[in-house]
Amino acid sequence: MYNRKIRGPLIEGNKSIGQITKEVALPMEMQPGLWWYIAFVLSSIAAVFGFYAIYITVYKGIGTWGVNNSVAWGWEIVNFVWWIGIGHAGTAFSIFLLILRQKWRTSINRAAEAMTVFAVMSAALFPALHMGRVWDAFYIFPYPNTRGPLWVNFNSPLFWDFSAITAYLIISASFWYLGMLPDLGTIRDRTTSKIKKAVYGFFSLGWTGSSRQWIRFDSLSFILGGIAAVLVVSVHSIVSTDFAVGIEPGWHTTIFPPFFVIGAIFSGFAMVMTLMVLIRKVYKLTDYITDNHMDAIARILVFISMIMGLAYLTEIFMSWYSGNQYEMFTFFRNRITGDYAVQFWGMIVCNALIPQLFWFRKVRRNWIGLLSVSLIINIGMWLERYNIVITSLSKDYLPSNWVSYSPTIIDIGVFVGTIGLFATGVLLFMRYIPMMAISELKSVAHIGNKKED
Amino acid sequence: MARTFKIGVFDDEGKFISSIRSLQEQKFRIFDVFTPYPVHEVFHLLKRKSRLPTAAYFFGLFGIISTLAFLYYTSVINWPIVYGGKPFNSFPSFIIVTIIVTILTVTIASLALFSARSKLFPGRDNTIFDLRATDDKFVIVIDTNSLDKSAIGNAGNIMEEQGAVEIIDKEFENVES
Repeated sequence: MYNRKIRGPLIEGNKSIGQITKEVALPMEMQPGLWWYIAFVLSSIAAVFGFYAIYITVYKGIGTWGVNNSVAWGWEIVNFVWWIGIGHAGTAFSIFLLILRQKWRTSINRAAEAMTVFAVMSAALFPALHMGRVWDAFYIFPYPNTRGPLWVNFNSPLFWDFSAITAYLIISASFWYLGMLPDLGTIRDRTTSKIKKAVYGFFSLGWTGSSRQWIRFDSLSFILGGIAAVLVVSVHSIVSTDFAVGIEPGWHTTIFPPFFVIGAIFSGFAMVMTLMVLIRKVYKLTDYITDNHMDAIARILVFISMIMGLAYLTEIFMSWYSGNQYEMFTFFRNRITGDYAVQFWGMIVCNALIPQLFWFRKVRRNWIGLLSVSLIINIGMWLERYNIVITSLSKDYLPSNWVSYSPTIIDIGVFVGTIGLFATGVLLFMRYIPMMAISELKSVAHIGNKKED
Repeated sequence: MARTFKIGVFDDEGKFISSIRSLQEQKFRIFDVFTPYPVHEVFHLLKRKSRLPTAAYFFGLFGIISTLAFLYYTSVINWPIVYGGKPFNSFPSFIIVTIIVTILTVTIASLALFSARSKLFPGRDNTIFDLRATDDKFVIVIDTNSLDKSAIGNAGNIMEEQGAVEIIDKEFENVES
């Protein structure tokens, strides 16, 4: 994917390794600009709105949502799948590219992993709230209990989903933290403030950079990377089985697992791009996150976008080819035309058509182009999940069960709240944690520069 | 107990590595080296090996067997329930939970082993020989307690010749090897 002879150095400006430490640590050492405080206040307000909506949900029950007997899964599941999808990028980035030994990951993986952790945290909120009695959520843990002991149903995708997401959250957070250790050590040794020294000293766990630590660090990264790669594919496949195992028209198809995994990586890469465009713009880190990095992500996005287009076509073709009247109704009368046509065509335009702009070099090299297309992809991916969840449920086999669905203010509140939570997390990350893996940047500093090549 | 160390500080990876080579040719035992990023040649020179992958393999094996055993126990022995007419031991649908729990087991167990072997845990205060090793300097540390005066001087000279930017003699309390 990244040929340095064609695309130039990974880090521009022929930097010495001391310079790298200084420049990456700079955002943490200076006062953040006014924009940071404004963004922080805005995202906190959104988070507070979310907490209010959650309070109402817990206090009054999920009757305050727009869900009903037919459309039992509403915005919450849409948002859950959307966030989990976004959460896939960090792992996709750092782990697939680690295993493939793609060195250009180094400038981006830390932020992508941070995004993963916050996105998965946001996602995990929804199923928990959807249980209705969130204080009984621990029932889903398989533990010896006084109710029999009655165990959970290990054959249920909903339980698989729970275990997958729990494992994913723990593993992505520990992978992120592990990668951070050397950099926290760097900050501890650089800082002159006593409080910072104590805090970063505590969290760096006594990192010294000795050869013994490094070799174990290296091999542990590969072990975790290798097994977590399996997890990336399996988590979203399992999320898809939540749907595919159900016999709703439009859900019950074998294309779902790969379709979901690709969709997740698509939305995650788009979110990575959104964040990266903003970070490199605001912190002026264009030497580290070069135009070539953005170009590479854009190329991946246009490739995945075509896979998405193919998946949409396959779904439509299969519904016709199956000859199943319910499938055909769902696709042709309920999605392509009918009540949900806007969402369907929105999804096609946002995910399959607009990303094709990335064929043009001018768009790939223009930050406004990158930012707007990546935001459009995120909207498109949300619409895709809306399509899947709502259209199939609102009109299935029995016309007497047909209802339409619209969210309430509480639904919207919970969603806005998770966006606020995510944004708050990302802002705190920018302020208190090195945004790029400093030690990894140092090991690739020479690539494409001076001596080599 | 205080111990004395000779510390060579380098600002160039090449000079640092050739200095390790010369020290080893002169049969000096290098206590440890500290680098801002992993330098793979160092691992070969100092014969550092990690057995973590082997351990991880066995953690995985343990994870698979214990998860399957747990699922079998709960679904067949302890409280069997018929779900949709399927057998109690519906192995294919156990595979997914087994994969996930195995991955989780390997991760947590490997992290714990890493933390124990590398002596990295919250509140840990490892000896930092030179603060710049996490920034941009490469540091060689030689334990000089068992060496005589001329050998100590010799070690310093070798590192100086190879281009060390600084040679420091320093005492440290409570250093673990």
